[in-house]
Amino acid sequence: MLALVLAAPEAQAFGQAGAFHPRMLLTGGAKWAGVRGSAPGRWAWELVRRTSAPARLTTAEVGADQPALVAEPFAIWAGQHAVAPLAASERRGLEQFIRLGGLLIVDDNDPEKGDFGRSVRRELRRVLPESPPVRLDPGHVVYKTYYLIDRPVGRVLGPPHLDAIVRGKNAQVLFLQHDLLGALARTPGGAWALEVKPGGARQREHAERLAVNLAMYLLCSDYKDDQVHAPWLMRRGAHRRP
Amino acid sequence: MNTRSWAFSGDLSTSEVIAVGVLLALSIVLLLVELRRRERLGGAIAASGILGTLMLSFAVLRPVRVTIRGSMVGPRVVVLVDQSRRLLLDNQGRTRRQRALDAVKQLQRQFSDARLSVLGFGDGKARPLDPASLKTGDSADLTADSDLAAALSGLAESPGERPRAVVVVSDGRLARPAAGADDQALRHAVGQLHVPIDTVSVAEKAPRDASIRAVHAAGAAVAHQALVLTVEIGCAGGLDCGDVPVRVRELRHGVKPALLAKGVAHVENGSAKLELSITLERAGNRVVEISIDAPDGDTIAANDRRILTFAVTRDRIRVLHVAGRPTYDVRALRMWLKSDESVDLVAFFILRTDTDDPGASDNELALIPFPVNELFTEHLPSFDAVVLQDIDAVRYRLARHLPELAHYVESGGGLIMVGGPSSFIGGGYAGTALERVLPVKLPDSARPFDTSAFVPRYTDAGRAAPALHSLRELYGDDLPEMPGSNTLGAPRKGSIVLWNHPDRKAGDQPMPVLALGEAGDGRSIALGVDGTHELAFSEMAAKAAGRGYGALWDGLLGWLMRDPRYEAARVQLVGDCITGEPTTLEVSRLPGMQGAIDLSVEKLGEDPSKPLSRHIDKPPSGSVKMKLGSLEPGGYTARVRIGAAPATRFDFSCEKGGEAWADSRPDPLRLDRIADVTGGRPVTSGSVGELPQPASTRIAAERHVSPMLPAWAWALLASLALGTHWLARRRGGLA
Repeated sequence: MLALVLAAPEAQAFGQAGAFHPRMLLTGGAKWAGVRGSAPGRWAWELVRRTSAPARLTTAEVGADQPALVAEPFAIWAGQHAVAPLAASERRGLEQFIRLGGLLIVDDNDPEKGDFGRSVRRELRRVLPESPPVRLDPGHVVYKTYYLIDRPVGRVLGPPHLDAIVRGKNAQVLFLQHDLLGALARTPGGAWALEVKPGGARQREHAERLAVNLAMYLLCSDYKDDQVHAPWLMRRGAHRRP
Repeated sequence: MNTRSWAFSGDLSTSEVIAVGVLLALSIVLLLVELRRRERLGGAIAASGILGTLMLSFAVLRPVRVTIRGSMVGPRVVVLVDQSRRLLLDNQGRTRRQRALDAVKQLQRQFSDARLSVLGFGDGKARPLDPASLKTGDSADLTADSDLAAALSGLAESPGERPRAVVVVSDGRLARPAAGADDQALRHAVGQLHVPIDTVSVAEKAPRDASIRAVHAAGAAVAHQALVLTVEIGCAGGLDCGDVPVRVRELRHGVKPALLAKGVAHVENGSAKLELSITLERAGNRVVEISIDAPDGDTIAANDRRILTFAVTRDRIRVLHVAGRPTYDVRALRMWLKSDESVDLVAFFILRTDTDDPGASDNELALIPFPVNELFTEHLPSFDAVVLQDIDAVRYRLARHLPELAHYVESGGGLIMVGGPSSFIGGGYAGTALERVLPVKLPDSARPFDTSAFVPRYTDAGRAAPALHSLRELYGDDLPEMPGSNTLGAPRKGSIVLWNHPDRKAGDQPMPVLALGEAGDGRSIALGVDGTHELAFSEMAAKAAGRGYGALWDGLLGWLMRDPRYEAARVQLVGDCITGEPTTLEVSRLPGMQGAIDLSVEKLGEDPSKPLSRHIDKPPSGSVKMKLGSLEPGGYTARVRIGAAPATRFDFSCEKGGEAWADSRPDPLRLDRIADVTGGRPVTSGSVGELPQPASTRIAAERHVSPMLPAWAWALLASLALGTHWLARRRGGLA
């Protein structure tokens, strides 16, 4: 599939315009670089490798105040340090993105400190004061959109839950305190960029599964909550691994 | 004619005349009391006294002669002729209607002195009977029912002279008063006029007939929900029916009728009831035929079947959404479908292919097998619409079910094929059974899609289509840029192209991008792009807060489901469609719909008749009535096209006789009872001569009053009489 996507630039246009595309949200003039730079592309690659979903393997960057933010319904807001207060134009851009139905993943790359996560929550409170983050139920569809997973993990084990800003029936902002991009990132040579603790390779696999599930949640919303899936998932629930 | 009489007074009122009379009587009594024991001249005093008081009274009253010039006027008689189509049934070589009209003619001759009003009664108030129909016997303005109570009530309420008598000419099978009414109810129903009602029965004996007397539905017809029909079977005229097979079928366009239910009615004492459960899967007008296998000897074949139109509503729209892979386009459509409370969504997305490596066992995956066989066989009819989005028919084993899917559309289902690399030609649909129900042809092209970005263009039909009206209200002619297009062929005959490609061609015409079409009883939509999600989420979408996507899909799904809001016109029958009578359709255009009106009417069934066409180039404003002439019994579909807009479909049924023929038995006893309770006389059509004509009425035209004597003469006579009385009293020794 990857070969097809890369070798057929025409096909990327038709059929790929609606493909999963990880875009890094930038605020305050920041740039997306560093050891996790390859992670968004890796996320797309894992999705293509494991599922039928098409994805664009290139990583795009988009400013919160740029009109292009509403060109696609997905963005990742990641960082290690506290973000500066958003400009009014950035707040407006983010509000428009979310009100149109976009999905924003907030990934704290340094969850042990949590400065980034806290600052983003602070800024999103200013953007969407009527929608505070809530803890997602363990039965939320995001845990079963493709893989059956029990808890979120990333480069670090992190808390066993996800927080989210839920509007209507949809979780539109998902807060990760697990450094998911850290678990996905590779070096230019192809090696893993960061060590995953404490679970090692198995935890990394589960982090990749979480990434796939998040992408599927974006693409299929609550599809796996449909009644038609219920009996199957009930049966498999008995076999789930811890 | 002159008549002469007199009156006590020409100018005093009756009470004043009575007062004078009382005074006169009192005076005479007092006089007699006074003279009780008097022997001398008692008689003379009394006589002169009585004469004197009489003369005095006449002097006060001044009696007059009255001469009246006038004439005798015949009584007003109303003849009510039953206008039910039931009277067209044959009765010993002649129809009941012919007998009824003959009876009216005889009444006209017989009641030559009467002022005869001949009215027809059927549904509601009685209306004057066209004199021409009396001569020709033609059957215009016939009705299903015979509502005598409504006709008499209308007569009672109408201003003007009340009739002296009413003559009802009918076979007695009246809708009102009902058959089982007791005398009090009967009197209440027909006695408002308080005049005798004579009745003329035009049929006495029931024909040998097995028929469907009534069909009742338990509640409203709702798509996908069982509906219990109670079928009443009747046998009359000595016909031996026994067990009568009953069949219920749905008449569809271009395909064989679908058997919905069947059973056997056990006829006892001339009637039977049978309950049959049917399920109509499609909403809108559905034409259902209920028929019986009548026994030998049945003389009226037309009422062995009823062809009825059921207006089927839907509780919710049940949509099957199948996507070959999850994309933003799939996401947008799913989220829109899920947001609509009226949609019951069943979705299947292919999330994993055989070449994907999830790196986990099946138990760690939340995936279920794609139940393609179950979906496209047993469950398919339960859906109102199927959305195929970018799914490869061959790879996902859908190809073998495409004939069923095509049949589903032809039987009234809705289909939307949404573009993507695996849609249309790319999905292996070219040359399949499904292609024939798509609104566009699929050329066997080596290039299933084109990756050049483009902006679709509205066609004239697209600008006129109510389905795109809301979208155009938001964006006008603007549409988002699409990243590519499926290769679609020319539109099929009757299909409408709403968007086309600015550069690509299908033959020598611009290639369709969005097209609507009809196939059999169903509708289908071909959307040859995978970028309409740009109306939900893009810079362009943001300008309208993402409402453009809902506007587009509301219109497309609404049109697919025949939502009247997305039709260019509303069509309805004027009256009933009865074989032998002219059928008229009324077409009401939605505001803003302009252009010529093209009407095409086809018979439902496997071999549709040659379409009946009507065209109005410049229709007047308001609704337009379009005459079709007489139609044979059966189901019909009318398609009305306003200008360039997509056609509006209207299905309806035509019957011979219809409900009026359902019960062919006459009911002369009911006519007898009506005559009895109102003081009239019941006769048969052969003995109309026995009916009595009510008495004529004298009408005064001129009244002349003249005094018998001048006033001075009465005064003089009174003076003389009183003077004589005075003299007599003096002679008799009275003061």
